[in-house]
Amino acid sequence: MSDLDDFKATFFDECSELLGELEEQFAAIEAGDRTANRLNAVFRAVHSIKGGGGAFGFVEMVAFAHAYETLLDHVRDGRIELSDPVTVLCIRANDLLADFVKAARTGASLGPGYGADERAQFDALTRGEPIGSHGGDAGGAPMDEFDIDFVPVMVDLAPSAAAAPAPAEDSFANLPLTAERGHWEIHFAPHSELYSRANDPLLLFRELGNLGELTVTAKLGEIPPLADFEPYGIYCSWELTLVSPTATAASIAEVFEFVEGNCDLSIALLAGANNPPAEPTLDELAALVMPPVADDGPGLSFADLAETLKTEAPVRAPAAAPILLRPAEPAPMSAAEESDADRRGGEADRRTAVQSIRVDLDKVDRVVNMVGELVITQSMLTQQMDDTLRARYQELVRGLEVLAQTTRGLQDAVMAIRAQPVKSVFSRMPRLVRDLAQKTGKKIKLETIGEATEIDKTVIEQLSDPLTHMIRNSCDHGIETPEARRALGKPEIGTIRLSAEQAGGNILIAVEDDGGGINRDRVLQVARDRLVIGPDQQLTEEQIDNLIFAPGFSTATEVSDISGRGVGMDVVLSNIKKIGGSVHVRSRTGQGTRMTLRLPLTLAVLDVMLVRVGPSPYVVPLSSIVETIQCSRADFGRAPSGAKVLRVRGEYVQVVDLAERFELTGGAELANRFVVLCEAEGGTKVALVVDDIIGQQQVVIKSLEENFESIDGIAGGTILGDGNVALIVDVQGLKAQKLHKNAA
Amino acid sequence: MRVLTVDDSRTILAMLHHTLSNAGFEVLQAEDGQKGLDVLATEAVDVVITDINMPVMDGIEFIKNVRASGQHNSLPILILTTETSQDKRDQGRAAGGTGWIVKPFDPEKLISVINRVVH
Repeated sequence: MSDLDDFKATFFDECSELLGELEEQFAAIEAGDRTANRLNAVFRAVHSIKGGGGAFGFVEMVAFAHAYETLLDHVRDGRIELSDPVTVLCIRANDLLADFVKAARTGASLGPGYGADERAQFDALTRGEPIGSHGGDAGGAPMDEFDIDFVPVMVDLAPSAAAAPAPAEDSFANLPLTAERGHWEIHFAPHSELYSRANDPLLLFRELGNLGELTVTAKLGEIPPLADFEPYGIYCSWELTLVSPTATAASIAEVFEFVEGNCDLSIALLAGANNPPAEPTLDELAALVMPPVADDGPGLSFADLAETLKTEAPVRAPAAAPILLRPAEPAPMSAAEESDADRRGGEADRRTAVQSIRVDLDKVDRVVNMVGELVITQSMLTQQMDDTLRARYQELVRGLEVLAQTTRGLQDAVMAIRAQPVKSVFSRMPRLVRDLAQKTGKKIKLETIGEATEIDKTVIEQLSDPLTHMIRNSCDHGIETPEARRALGKPEIGTIRLSAEQAGGNILIAVEDDGGGINRDRVLQVARDRLVIGPDQQLTEEQIDNLIFAPGFSTATEVSDISGRGVGMDVVLSNIKKIGGSVHVRSRTGQGTRMTLRLPLTLAVLDVMLVRVGPSPYVVPLSSIVETIQCSRADFGRAPSGAKVLRVRGEYVQVVDLAERFELTGGAELANRFVVLCEAEGGTKVALVVDDIIGQQQVVIKSLEENFESIDGIAGGTILGDGNVALIVDVQGLKAQKLHKNAA
Repeated sequence: MRVLTVDDSRTILAMLHHTLSNAGFEVLQAEDGQKGLDVLATEAVDVVITDINMPVMDGIEFIKNVRASGQHNSLPILILTTETSQDKRDQGRAAGGTGWIVKPFDPEKLISVINRVVH
């Protein structure tokens, strides 16, 4: 069915983009950039939402957008100054517009009063009243104005359109609007503009002919002697007689609607309406080019004239002499014929180049999944090739190599389809910062860097909440009040820098503020109060900083409505972990805090090292591996606590024996085992002891939580080329557990 | 019959395309005035439908440019508009617009307006 549903989907897609555009433009406007381009873009965005909304009959949305648009139009042409209060009102309007769009999408109604206050303010402003002067009559008053203003009178051919208000200078204004019937006399004398706008008397007559019986008489009396004849001169007018039982002055005027002001026109209802027309009736419009006998002309019949012109003025035919129906331009008929011929000539389907297409995400995901399976199959085939086979079937080996390459290329290409610039998330943040700054009375500016960095769409979708939390945290806890900042000798305006960059197989997204940094004394005290850590436990600064990610942790003295409910940062951590990323925090007292999200470029495929622990294969994400060491060469020792440590280049690293950790038996001699040195978030390392290292490969991640349940220390599962299931080791999780164990 | 539709709104372009191709028109599309001019430089069309508010080159400029080229004096150009305030429409007409279509349009009206300005 539903083309309409398709259009709606397109429309809502477009609305999201336009609303994003509004955010973005206003962020720039707030930053002081009030160039005409910005205002025009804002106007266009609202205009487009209104236009589309109108097409689907979203009345409330359109009404609001219309009022907002009118305000913007006034702002755009300078009638209203874009002062700070007006900007604030506009930003509020953007929110409301988003609400209307959302309501339209979900089929909800916001009620007639929704946004009425703002609309009243728009109307007051456009009436020239200063902002805020408008009182409380937030009722439906603007709706009435809107109705009058927006009724599409011009294409409505129904008789009711006769009541449409005509402008004062309108030459049809004095016509009787009642539906009188009968015999109409119309005088029509085009001006040159009529022709220069590609209007054509013939077409007007054709349309009049649809109303009733039409007689057309060309008045040729103005045609000058040939010597004075100007190619683009206008010498012709017409007298028309229309006999119609149904025609009204309005319906006749309607025909001339497009040429209003470009012609002299009089329409009169003949007295004694039912008299037959005096002149013989010509029902063929072709009659136009058959001139009447020019008894009042300058002694040259039109036929003669045309004939003369043909021979004497070969280059420029008598231009816009209306009688010839546009012969001035390359004759329209022949042009049309030419283009017909062109098309038949094989260029029929030449269209403008398609720049992009929109594809349902499900379809892309199906391709991604299938490519994932293809990767597995390909790696399985490669594994099946033992040395004997390799030696014997060299062509096959070569083929498999090409297959591997192509698969890799296909995978990259598919991932690129899913990739989107982080801009879509970043663009929501200026708004957030502005709101928060207002609520907290702080002065904060947001800088964004690397908006064009591309990342998997799924990752992007999961990014919004964590980023929001992080930025809230920076605004609420990080940046100090202007007074405090002044006292510290810092600039009054705090800065939050939001950046994205690609680093190897990861995307790094950082939120950095120049605030006071994490208050470690307070964090430590709260952590002790809440028994997150033991009373005498000594923690490094970094460990203290990481306590903010502990569940239920909050240092805000008062729980504000911005952040500080104590659910923020642990939610950030768990959300980011869910999409295979990690969070790192670094803070300097008095100088600020930097939180970094490390995210995988893509969710679907992971480069891993395949290891064996006991009888089972495990995989460790390659991105977290620093090096591998044979245990026989490793320098193990004991920490004072008794925990096993590994000494690497003078640094002591926690050791996690995976066999012990996962309670697997049948481990090999320690000397034959391997250490996989991994770097967890924050640059701290953890040494995993495994029984064997098998090799590197790519795996497609399968979620454990979706199919089974979440397991500590395991990030997910995968199916290997030989069909075996391997678990993906969660390096970060193992390290965190270690910390908790110590803490407990 | 070929129609060039010029609008920065995908929704409107899609709806025009649907309506016009159902009515047997061949539809060309452009997202702003500049792109519209590019199309006209290489393609023969019978009628143009253009939005007014567009980035890069708006509808008024687009119409002015089409007419100024001298190549398309008799090409009917319909202005798509939601503006009921006369001035936008008048600007469009002064620039050389042949007629206008008020959004939201219904399919029948759209076709009937086109038929008013083409042979």
